[in-house]
Amino acid sequence: MNRRDFFKLLGIGGAATLTGCSSQTPERLIPYLVPVEEIIPGQATWYATVCRECPAGCGMLVKTLEGRAVKVEGNPDHPVNRGRLCARGQASLQGLYNPDRIRQPLLKDASGQFKPLSWHDAEEWLAIRLKELRAQRREIVWLTPHLTGALDQLIDRWLQAFGSKRRLRYEPFAYEAIKVANKLLFGLEAVPTCDLQSSQLIFSFGSDFLETWISPVMYSREFAAMRAYEAGRMGRFIFIGPRRSLTAANADRWVSVPPGSEGMIAAGMVRVIIAEGLWRGVPKGELDRIKGLVDRYTPYLVSQATGITPQDLEALARAFAEADPGLALGGGAAESGRYATATVAAVNLLNYVTGNIGRTIRFGPLSSLSRLSPHRELATLIQAMNDGEISALFFSEVNPVFSLPRSAGFEQAMDNVPLIVSCGSFMDETTAKATLVLPTHTPLETWGDDESWEGLYGLMQPAMEPVFETKPLGDLLLSLAKRSSDSQAAAFTEESFYEVLRNRWRELHRRVRPETEFETFWSEALARGGVFQETHPRRISLNLGGLAKAFQWLQTLGRPDNLILLLYPSINHFDGRGANRPWLQELPDPLTQLTWDSWLEIHPEDAQRLAISEGDLLKVRSPYEEIELPAHLSTGVRQGTVAAPIGQGHTAYGRYADPDDLNANGFGEKRRGGNPFALLPVEPDGGSRGLRLAAPVTLTNTGMKYPLASVSGSVRQHNRGIAQAISLAELGSGEPELDTRHLQLDTRQMYPPHEHPVHRWGMAIDLNACTGCSACVVACYAENNIPVVGKEQLARGREMSWIRIERFEEGPVDRPGTRFIPMLCQHCDNAPCEPVCPVYATLHNSEGLNIQVYNRCVGTRYCSNNCPYKVRRFNWFTYPWPEPLHLQLNPDVTVRESGVMEKCTFCVQRITAGKAKAKDEGRPVRDGEIVPACAQTCPTSAIVFGDLKDPTSTVSRLSHNPRRYRVLEHLNTQPAITYLKKIIPDSEQ
Amino acid sequence: MMQNEIDMFGRKGGGRPVDASPFAQPDRHSARPLSVFRIIAIILLPLVIFITIAESGVFRPQNEAPAQPIDFSHKIHAGTYRISCLYCHTNARRSPVAGVPSVQRCMGCHKITAADRPEVRKLKGYWDRKEPIPWIKIFGQPDFVAFSHVAHVRAHVACEDCHGPVQKMDRVHRAVDLTMDRCLSCHRDRQASIDCVTCHR
Repeated sequence: MNRRDFFKLLGIGGAATLTGCSSQTPERLIPYLVPVEEIIPGQATWYATVCRECPAGCGMLVKTLEGRAVKVEGNPDHPVNRGRLCARGQASLQGLYNPDRIRQPLLKDASGQFKPLSWHDAEEWLAIRLKELRAQRREIVWLTPHLTGALDQLIDRWLQAFGSKRRLRYEPFAYEAIKVANKLLFGLEAVPTCDLQSSQLIFSFGSDFLETWISPVMYSREFAAMRAYEAGRMGRFIFIGPRRSLTAANADRWVSVPPGSEGMIAAGMVRVIIAEGLWRGVPKGELDRIKGLVDRYTPYLVSQATGITPQDLEALARAFAEADPGLALGGGAAESGRYATATVAAVNLLNYVTGNIGRTIRFGPLSSLSRLSPHRELATLIQAMNDGEISALFFSEVNPVFSLPRSAGFEQAMDNVPLIVSCGSFMDETTAKATLVLPTHTPLETWGDDESWEGLYGLMQPAMEPVFETKPLGDLLLSLAKRSSDSQAAAFTEESFYEVLRNRWRELHRRVRPETEFETFWSEALARGGVFQETHPRRISLNLGGLAKAFQWLQTLGRPDNLILLLYPSINHFDGRGANRPWLQELPDPLTQLTWDSWLEIHPEDAQRLAISEGDLLKVRSPYEEIELPAHLSTGVRQGTVAAPIGQGHTAYGRYADPDDLNANGFGEKRRGGNPFALLPVEPDGGSRGLRLAAPVTLTNTGMKYPLASVSGSVRQHNRGIAQAISLAELGSGEPELDTRHLQLDTRQMYPPHEHPVHRWGMAIDLNACTGCSACVVACYAENNIPVVGKEQLARGREMSWIRIERFEEGPVDRPGTRFIPMLCQHCDNAPCEPVCPVYATLHNSEGLNIQVYNRCVGTRYCSNNCPYKVRRFNWFTYPWPEPLHLQLNPDVTVRESGVMEKCTFCVQRITAGKAKAKDEGRPVRDGEIVPACAQTCPTSAIVFGDLKDPTSTVSRLSHNPRRYRVLEHLNTQPAITYLKKIIPDSEQ
Repeated sequence: MMQNEIDMFGRKGGGRPVDASPFAQPDRHSARPLSVFRIIAIILLPLVIFITIAESGVFRPQNEAPAQPIDFSHKIHAGTYRISCLYCHTNARRSPVAGVPSVQRCMGCHKITAADRPEVRKLKGYWDRKEPIPWIKIFGQPDFVAFSHVAHVRAHVACEDCHGPVQKMDRVHRAVDLTMDRCLSCHRDRQASIDCVTCHR
């Protein structure tokens, strides 16, 4: 028996034993009773809808196979995201299939335990309560997240029918300072359009627009377009704030300033611009008044408060004034601190005096975020709850117990409300306090609409039948109203929420396209994902009185004695709602490269002063509350400031989010860090009275070590030239010198070169466009059935991601430049993995793919050891998908078992499908027709895939770009991936 | 976690202590000596496997035809009446999955045709109860094989080449060897792609 036969036998033997087991229950073929017209088994059907993972309102297409959703992608027709999605959007499927979804109505009994009951009983029970409340004219309150469209209107109508009108649209990040500052300065309480793309220079005062701020996918696309290199020029970007966020890491320069001082810098810059006559388009009379307001913010004073030298401030101001147009954005810590409103007002003023208002800041279309309830309404509600004025509290998909400061007392106030009804999909901290839980559909199962910006009407349709016995909120409201009395039934004539929605769209139809039939209009909107209208900006003028009022809150700072804790929305979990998606827990934070955790970022010098080292478990105490967080040393926060991501620390949000479930005894016997929201102060910012995301804290080292699971190797490149960069000057000087340090190439080979007769698939990745947002990573998990391994396995270096974002630091240790590089299988022509495989499980195909044959692989792991890029992943275990998460699995990709090596395939299933389609249509494959999942979702189009044999393809063109290089080229692996160097603009300041 | 409960990654709690990690670990470090039983097992196991292979085989021809919920005869439909395969297995020409016809399609003819026969009455029973028919699967490929019917139909591969002469069978059984060997020899003969990723991905 030779070796080949042996393996053959072994393989068949395994299979035979398997069939031996399954032969007792033969596999069944279940036909349709009546075939569904639009479904061909084995062929994907796509439905357009709107992503509801955050308030940005990106258009989304849901791929369904045999009636189940398996993948989501951005809707190319939707003006917000133009076909791209972020990591959270990609993970929306794990909301739909989350194993911790509530599966039936629950009623709390006398002992405080939830008991399941039938829908009929639950609705009857509630209808009786509602009838009583209405008879006694008691107040009912509805708390929803950011909501627009038909459901929003229906809730208002429903409340009215019950004689109440207290209705809150609650989001933890409500952009209140922006709204109030705009109200004061321009008379519009609104979130305006920011045009990043046409700007030549962006100043971000704390705004993390590439991560979580307002509409990150849209801003990422515009940012990349603005940064694109053309004829020796590119847009520039300076970040001013106390923490080097992902957005700041993408800036040309991070100006580190104490939290709360951003407004003074803006005011100081305005003063310089006026003093040097660099202003644009400001009437003379206004100019004098403005001058009077900013006169006290001399470069010297600003320098005293912020540490920026007067020369630096002047240089920044001049650079901003020269940019035509520029754009200054205020957000993040600057927009949620003590001086938030004044800060945003100063930033607005900076835009005003340089003529950017109306050009890069436009008041139209306005964001529907403008309609969010202010924080003070919530405070009033808590007061009313405490006073016993509220008889019933209804809420849906909001979690104020988690996302409000503990000292706000929402949780305690709930004890004074006799009836609390939660209509949501998940158990969470707030739902746990409810009397009755009515599980609703997730957004992927419901009808609905969403108007994220004026004129952009997105339409949502169910992509599949409900996974569990849940109900859509709209239908539930109608049914409750009808059950509670006859007069209500008369008021709500609609059969279902679908009818409510269609009635609203009939109005829209009359307004925007009355010339077509309604049914045509409706079906076109369904296919397209909505109706998108142009909205023209409003004309606005500066209100000097309001400006003066806003400026009175702008104070000169004393240096605080305490450490200041800044909270920032996590790119993975947003305000905490993403924490129950295993993909998002497994996804490393792009900057810290930590997974499954929260942490406290502290500057190494502060850490040394306080005798804290990496991984120490700290007690973080603010005047209001105390939580535990592990320390992570980072130069990304300025001294005197510590920072923590928002989103972890759940206590009742399912198995993936709950620290007790995950870490109680598993990994180092310590819990995951607490919920930092708890530490926040209740006293709001002076102007807008919005929630502040900063608090003074003291740290105590508990002396215990908390193991953090990091996927990072080294933060330094050690001269290996992995993520390379080029300066703008060098690039502009014609033929740039190729970096030859790594190019002592010995091209001799043992084997004959590979032939690629038809295609040679390749990729180009533009590091100047990559922001490190990690959307590609989650898209890859979704497309390729990549298992989630959990924190302990990750800490052992057993992550399974086929594509990862590596982050490197360059330059001075205390103020490094950050570079991100997506690392995936390079599909080398001269692949080191291939010759070492004893069973030919990894080999080169005729199209240049380095393929992995799972059924041949015996798991020697030689290939992984020999791979210089460390992109091969080994299945140490068979990682199952807890039901019903397995419904998301892509049937076009094999699910791997333990003992098998796997890696990026360039989405070979998409390549095959693309080739088959071209063959059917009798034509060659078109450039751009085949798009792997990572490239498809990349918000900045940094990843381009195509055929290198076709000289006209985009990827061929890019692989001859002057910025081209290949990673570890000196190893002569001849990768199929060409990277384009990041461009570092010359520092003029 | 309680014993025998399924943990977050779906693994059984098994015999692990109540407070064991949810990230289950096999006890790789337990140093049990090789018992006599183990040594015998190590020698015997390959033997058993070998005999199993010799006796049966998942993709080998199979003489037994399992009893189907309805005694449907391909011999009558495809043989006597010469109804084209693609009339019922219509998705084979447009999808990777050939599929089985919907109950509605069967009833299209059998509302009238042979409505009094006992097997057709069974069919009517399923239709009236609004139940799909739980056919037993005869042909199949393992999960790591991506087979597309449409590609083969377009390439004019006859259904019989893989499914055998079903038009001669009352009860269908697997008369043809469906191993990779057969796939490859046909692919070689027809100069179709023998790239691994054509079928394995």
